[in-house]
Amino acid sequence: MLKYVLKRLLYIVVVFLIASVLIFALYKSVPGDPARLMLEGNKQNMRPEEYEVAYQAAREKLGLDKSLPVQYITWLFNTIRGDFGYSLTYKMPVKQMIGVPMKNTILLNVTSLIPVFAITIPLGIATAVRRGSKFDNTVQVVTIVGYSLPFFVIALLFIFLFAVTLPIFPISGVQTPGLSGSPSRMFVDKMYHMALPLIVMVFTSLGGLTRYVRATMIDALRRDYIRTARAKGLTEKVVIYSHAFRNALIPFITIMTGWFISIFSGSVVIERTFLWNGMGKVIIDALNQQDFAVSLTMVMFYLILALVGNLLMDLSYVLADPRVKLT
Amino acid sequence: MNDNAKKRRGSTFGDVLRIMFLGRSHTKLSLLEEEQMQSPYRTMLRNFREKKTAMLGVYIFLLIFLACFFLPIWFPADITFQDPTQQNTRPSNNFMKVPSALQANVTGLDGGAVFGVGVDLSGKVYQWGNLSAKLKAIPTGMDPIVEVSAGLDHVVALSSTGKLYTWGNDRFNLGSIPAAAMNTPIKQVAAGHQISLALAENGNLYVWGNENITRISTRGVQGTIDKVVVNTTTAIALTKDKRVVALSSRETPFNYVPDAIQGRVVDIATTDRSAAALTTDGRVYVWGGLDYGVQEIPERIQGNVVHLVAGRGHFTALLKDGTVASWGWNYYHQTDVPKLSGIVYVSADYFQNYAIDNKGNIHTWGLKGYLMGTDQYGRDTFSRLLVGGRVTLTIGAISVIIAAFIGIIVGSISGYYGGAMDIFLMRMAEVVNAIPFLPLAMILSAIIGSKVSETGRIAMIMVILGLLSWPSLARLVRGQILAEREQEFVTAAKAMGIKEFKIIFKHILPNVITVVLVNLTLSFALCLLYESSLSYLGFGVNEPNATWGNMLYGCNDSTVMSQYWWRWVFPSIALSLCTISINMAGDGMRDAIDPKLNDR
Repeated sequence: MLKYVLKRLLYIVVVFLIASVLIFALYKSVPGDPARLMLEGNKQNMRPEEYEVAYQAAREKLGLDKSLPVQYITWLFNTIRGDFGYSLTYKMPVKQMIGVPMKNTILLNVTSLIPVFAITIPLGIATAVRRGSKFDNTVQVVTIVGYSLPFFVIALLFIFLFAVTLPIFPISGVQTPGLSGSPSRMFVDKMYHMALPLIVMVFTSLGGLTRYVRATMIDALRRDYIRTARAKGLTEKVVIYSHAFRNALIPFITIMTGWFISIFSGSVVIERTFLWNGMGKVIIDALNQQDFAVSLTMVMFYLILALVGNLLMDLSYVLADPRVKLT
Repeated sequence: MNDNAKKRRGSTFGDVLRIMFLGRSHTKLSLLEEEQMQSPYRTMLRNFREKKTAMLGVYIFLLIFLACFFLPIWFPADITFQDPTQQNTRPSNNFMKVPSALQANVTGLDGGAVFGVGVDLSGKVYQWGNLSAKLKAIPTGMDPIVEVSAGLDHVVALSSTGKLYTWGNDRFNLGSIPAAAMNTPIKQVAAGHQISLALAENGNLYVWGNENITRISTRGVQGTIDKVVVNTTTAIALTKDKRVVALSSRETPFNYVPDAIQGRVVDIATTDRSAAALTTDGRVYVWGGLDYGVQEIPERIQGNVVHLVAGRGHFTALLKDGTVASWGWNYYHQTDVPKLSGIVYVSADYFQNYAIDNKGNIHTWGLKGYLMGTDQYGRDTFSRLLVGGRVTLTIGAISVIIAAFIGIIVGSISGYYGGAMDIFLMRMAEVVNAIPFLPLAMILSAIIGSKVSETGRIAMIMVILGLLSWPSLARLVRGQILAEREQEFVTAAKAMGIKEFKIIFKHILPNVITVVLVNLTLSFALCLLYESSLSYLGFGVNEPNATWGNMLYGCNDSTVMSQYWWRWVFPSIALSLCTISINMAGDGMRDAIDPKLNDR
């Protein structure tokens, strides 16, 4: 086990280095000179020679005067230390800037997990147990429709129904502008704004996840040990929940890893449509304003999350199923 | 023998196609016969055809595919075309639906941008087409009307008592008729692009409305004007001494009236960029901007013309023998004149034409309306939907092909060789797969996209989607190959000394290709979704190119959502229908090839 973890950590380091070179190359191929961009506002107030001096100073400050390998290593170490660079549009360190959006995204995603699992797991199990029945076929068709619909179509539809036709919820935003009051009132207001994105987010996840649970459950229910369990005279409830579902957990964990990362990355489409100030919207704004430091930092961040998430996934296989041997 | 085997395989594949599209010839077999005769492909096909939802998916997708690739032949779309006068028009088919009360009872008609207005013999006004609330509010208690003129979104009317009325858009002083015009006997009214003109009996011209768009200068000609015509930018007058004068304050192409015709002009007409004059000998002369083929006057009409009218890009002429000829811009079929005879009156404006014959029957040709409305630039949603579907489907297909190419090669190598190569490739796949797809695609698109042209962007999106969606396929192929590589036939091939690459791609891969195909179908739907999401967010294909995603760009706005519903409803339906049908078909395929399902 320990040996396995160490081996995986080694892989992580290697993959991280390779990917970071690629990301750095991407960062360097970005159009525009960050040093000039930094001085953009003061350009008019300076004489040419003054500007040249300031430009060189900015280059030095940003480390652009060094050779590329040196720049790469500096950048890599800074990133690992948690110094993600400087946002040109917000005029503050990226680390500081993404605090609030990160909180918003995590809030939205974690809250959506609860209804999603509360609906998909029982539904998936029920359809798997009653495979081929009318109920199953109906759910199958509905879920195909559900996971085929683009997120933004569902979002537009929900906005149309619950914000335009029946104005129950606000169309977009995180908070009523200019609202101030007790923390509880602020919280209620935020929940009110979160309702529609949350509903859409839950809705978009239902189809795919229900089908996934159903598929893994069907696979588990076909096994010999299920037949044995039934032959022993165990109740159907025990057979399904204790024998089959436990064994269906493994593929389920794979899906969970994806969720783990999306909790931090958020849904770009939903956040853009509802103007929810989260990580997805930060990426869009950063790209629209050519603030590439922010967007590439986030890719680095997701990369680390992905690598760690994969390791955690493999380790949790062992927890879910003691038979799994990690080599 | 080798030859024989090849032939057999070919015919099996032919069978697959034939059965898929034409259906199977049903010969009842006994169970034993069936068991013996059915190849795995046939079993799959039978399973597939038995699934109703899957077949429905195939049919819907084929329908969408054929519509997107062949309907544009009949509904061509010029993607660079824009027309602000047609913007945000609701789905309609009634631009020229003249009320039956006007038939055999009409004195005058005129077309506005998306509506029409007419007067009957008793002086009552009728309107049809796409009417705004302000247009619907015709003033009550008007004296009998003798002449109406429709502009972009307003109407000017002249009564038999010489009174002027106006309704519709009333901004830019359009609603306030100058007092001088009210007190003078008027002989002609003309409504243009947010501007109104009234010509008095004494040859004076009164102008009111938005003079920022249409600048009209009457200096030097007041008191001599006999007729005035107006287009979207300016106006042209015919004076009492049969001369043509462009009433523009600036130098425009309209000023270059051919000298030869001055003094013998009897009628004038003007499109947006060109003008035409009819001389005393019945000949037509055109000058100004000579686009849309407005200068290609049919030779047979020269010398026979009695009256001339014009739309935004075409001319329509009434001939001596009571027939009508149109030429010029034919984007909305506004020059496709039906067979007419005995015509006594013609009227043309924007993209509509009206003709009245000697029995009072009204004939129309030109733009009837838009099946699915228009967007904020006045472009037809339906034709953009077709063209956009073509782009979306092409991008989806090519990115899937790219992904398949990389995925199959990586997966095969990784699965067959194993070891360090396998570990390295699979870790790479893991990483590409793990970084959130849309943000990464957006970043790539933003960085690379700034350096390529608009058409290059489409290719770029294909490559990005392909490069980011291979991992799942590679993993699938690897798993399948891992299972296959220990089989006896691989050992046999190795023993025969066949090259490893040949073993992978000619011996192993055909055994797993069905699974790969199913996966490709499902990733095709996924690629469509990713492309449209990217375009919806503004990081995919941009204007003026159309895709289903970028037609929805900017539609999450409450005005668009509620008032211009056709702008988001139709692209959403098209996209959703397409992905749903592909997924239904793919799902059916997966079930069909799953051998475990057969042990029911």
